[in-house]
Amino acid sequence: MIEQLTAQQRKVAYLIGIVVLMVPIILLGMPATDEASSGGQLARLRQTHDLGESSLGKVDPTSATMNLVLLGMRGIAVNLLRMELDTQKDRKQWAQMRATTESVILLQPHYIQVWRYLGWNLAYNVSAEWDAVEDRYFWVKEGAKFLMQGAEKNRRHPEVYWETGRTLGQKIGRADEWKHFRKFFKIDPDKDRYPNGPDSDINPEGKDNYLVAKEWYQKANDAEEQHEQHIMMRALFRSYPARSQLDYAEALQKEGLFDETTRNAWSLAYKDWVEGFGKMVFQEDDFEIYLEADAKDVDQIADTSKVDRPLVERAIDIHQKVSNYKFWRTKAHAEMQVNTQGVHRELYEAEQLFKKGDLEASQEALDSGLKRYELMLETYPDLGMDDNTLEEGLWAVMLWQKIYQLKNQIQPEEFPLKAIWEREAGRIPNIQQDFNRKFGPSS
Amino acid sequence: MTFDHAPFLFGPALLHWVLVFGCFAGIVFSVSVLIALGVYGASGPTAVMGRVWQGLHDFLGISPRRIWAISLLTIKEAVRRKALFVFVVFASLVMFAGWFLESDLRADLQVKNAVSFALTTISWLTLPVVLLLSCWGLPEDIRLRSIHTIVTKPVRRNEIVMGRILGFSIVASLIVSMMGVVGYVWIRRQVPNNAELICRVPVYGELSFLDREGNLTDKGVNTGDIWEFRSYVEGGTRSSAVYKFPMDKVTDNVRFESRFEAFRTHKGRIGQSLLVRYVLVNPTKGLRVPLGSFEVAEFGLNEKDVDRQISFFDEDKNDNRTVDLFDDVVDQNTLTVEVQCLDAGQYLGMARPDMFIRMPDRSFVVGYFKAVVGVLLLSIFLISIGVTSSTFVKGPVSILLTFTVLLVGQGFREFMLKLITGEQKGGGPIESWYRLITHMNDTLQLPDNFGVKLMQSIDNLFMGGLWLVQHLIPDLSYFVMSPYVANGFDVPWSTAMAKCIAMTVGYLVPCLLVGYYSLTLRELEAK
Repeated sequence: MIEQLTAQQRKVAYLIGIVVLMVPIILLGMPATDEASSGGQLARLRQTHDLGESSLGKVDPTSATMNLVLLGMRGIAVNLLRMELDTQKDRKQWAQMRATTESVILLQPHYIQVWRYLGWNLAYNVSAEWDAVEDRYFWVKEGAKFLMQGAEKNRRHPEVYWETGRTLGQKIGRADEWKHFRKFFKIDPDKDRYPNGPDSDINPEGKDNYLVAKEWYQKANDAEEQHEQHIMMRALFRSYPARSQLDYAEALQKEGLFDETTRNAWSLAYKDWVEGFGKMVFQEDDFEIYLEADAKDVDQIADTSKVDRPLVERAIDIHQKVSNYKFWRTKAHAEMQVNTQGVHRELYEAEQLFKKGDLEASQEALDSGLKRYELMLETYPDLGMDDNTLEEGLWAVMLWQKIYQLKNQIQPEEFPLKAIWEREAGRIPNIQQDFNRKFGPSS
Repeated sequence: MTFDHAPFLFGPALLHWVLVFGCFAGIVFSVSVLIALGVYGASGPTAVMGRVWQGLHDFLGISPRRIWAISLLTIKEAVRRKALFVFVVFASLVMFAGWFLESDLRADLQVKNAVSFALTTISWLTLPVVLLLSCWGLPEDIRLRSIHTIVTKPVRRNEIVMGRILGFSIVASLIVSMMGVVGYVWIRRQVPNNAELICRVPVYGELSFLDREGNLTDKGVNTGDIWEFRSYVEGGTRSSAVYKFPMDKVTDNVRFESRFEAFRTHKGRIGQSLLVRYVLVNPTKGLRVPLGSFEVAEFGLNEKDVDRQISFFDEDKNDNRTVDLFDDVVDQNTLTVEVQCLDAGQYLGMARPDMFIRMPDRSFVVGYFKAVVGVLLLSIFLISIGVTSSTFVKGPVSILLTFTVLLVGQGFREFMLKLITGEQKGGGPIESWYRLITHMNDTLQLPDNFGVKLMQSIDNLFMGGLWLVQHLIPDLSYFVMSPYVANGFDVPWSTAMAKCIAMTVGYLVPCLLVGYYSLTLRELEAK
């Protein structure tokens, strides 16, 4: 029959066929817009089951195009790029390596492990290869920026948010160069690009690194409520925003800040830890628990869930031990007290006075500080198990002994913290080594 | 990348070329004689000799006028095939490239990106055009039988090949030079105001090392790097790197530029980079002139200017002294510089190209157009291969062959070398296949049996073929000169330009011969 039609009629028939076929195609495949339940049948199914590219995070059109262009060759291309990446790393071609990293991610935008591995690589491995602290900081920032990009493209994965928080918090705050890094976080060393301010890509409001990390950990927790994370025990994962606040308060102290800001930081840390993290609900097999539950709460959980009380107690105990919950609660509570801040301030000031050569004033500050230190331990005996607290006390005793040596005086038989000095004798050699390196060996 | 390739030595290179070309010609001649003997009997070798004689006659009697006429026809054909439309693509790219190049980068990186973009675009647009034109021309003429209008005239076959190569080369020159000029203007407009287009001229020296006791060694310490490009000197000891620079000219001052790498075995002083010191040495006079120390800018640039008159504290004589760089320090036209790391327990890494004397800069335009000439030379090389292969295979096959030469020559020679030398584990194609299907990784020992031996013997044949390919296809990465210019260096004559010119000419001659004989022996009636 087709042969009987004229060329023009055939064209019209084809056109009608095309238009008719377009109707089901549009109904099935129309792309979704920002509005809910928009788009064709397939788009709505993708939205329902959270499978669409748009629901995964920010869509990178180049990435989708690249995948389309490569068709089935994406795996091969990624392998080649990863080999190139390794070669560039071995040959220390950092700028090229950064570009290759971007290419890999263009092809694998939703592989979480790729983001985590490459982000770590930039922030930890590449930064360590550089000698100048400013250069190391640049690469830590590169790692953090890379992870932020990953989080934006994978909004439902809590892991990448968490990695970003870790890089901004722990890498910047706990590296050997932490003093420099923390300063750089607020005032970037690249004066040309960021005159007298932070790198706005990672710290637009010029906050402390731990506070920015806290925001990212919080984002991770928000995402975790929708999608399970696969990197650690849930209780531990969810403790990080509060932990970051604790880290912030501790960092202020390490930097010699003992004013209201530090006390407020500890107060907030205590609140975050006890009222925030402590009241978070965790699901056990047949019942729900929270870490701040007292005896009455345990009874109520046992009664409501119809499980044995010891089972509830055990579950709470495990969660508390995993997150070191009780210790941090005690620590935060202790540190927000005026006396505790006074201890830290006096011991810190004693060292500063010692460095200036004012031995009398230093000794006076130490005497007072060590006595208050003992009082602190009496009030909070748990702090006697904390490494940092003990190190601070033993260091102060060494300084106290050193002053006696320098003044050619015999130190008294009895001195503050003697009990701890004798009990913790095993820790002394290492701390003494650091002390001697800083202030010279004992005569 | 390193900009310090081995210099091109014309004498040994020519000798090597004559040897390879002579062997190649000899093998082809011998095989031809043997085949002719087998096919035609006693008259065969005479016929081969006749062909050789005819070839000699044809090459000695070439007519530039006829070659030029064919070249003009080739140019017209290229224009007719809309080859010059490539300018439209180039213009579009240049017009909108600025939108896509990052403008918030450091000024020097913006320059690097702009220069790389311009030269890469010229290269990527030109090479496919000349590849398609050169591979498609002759087979199309043969297919359409338009070649009969030429071969029936008193034109020799070698003149057809030469005319084609010349014609396409002129088209390539036109495209590359016009794009080069436009690209240059674009770069000038693209670079930020605070950036500088520079063209450094480095003079590299010879490098040796002194160990911690001060004994001369070839290498320093390996601090665990997989890539053994750099060797390290130990800080706070007598260990140092000894650079010997040729110094032929007397100048008012000398500028050293270096890019060293630091390796720390302990944290050291956080916030301060490793301290480095240069010591100028005259071994004959026993003179040692220490210069002021400086903090190393790792993976960055350390610049040190030294005036001709140098004042320093002589530790041996315990006195301040002033010496003349050229009269007192330079010894037999050689300036010896010891590089020391002053931080005990830390290490400083360097390779030969990591330190050089920076001579007065050349104009950027010189370096840039040298790189453009590099693209042109690569185009001519491809045209030679393309035209030659199109004399004995059809267009698509010729394109595939020439493209393979380009691909392998630019990126796979190193990999092939690893395969041939056995550095790349996993064996030849059959062994790899065997390991793949039996899930054996490349570190596992294969069983010792006849099958494996047979498999490896066949693989050895493949490897032999690969060896031949590896030696036939040159390293085309030398033609890519944009990294020199993008990183602010001049394109050196000896290590880059001369090498590429020699490579182009060196392949052009055998290509002409192969092309001539292929076209002579080819049945032009066959499509």
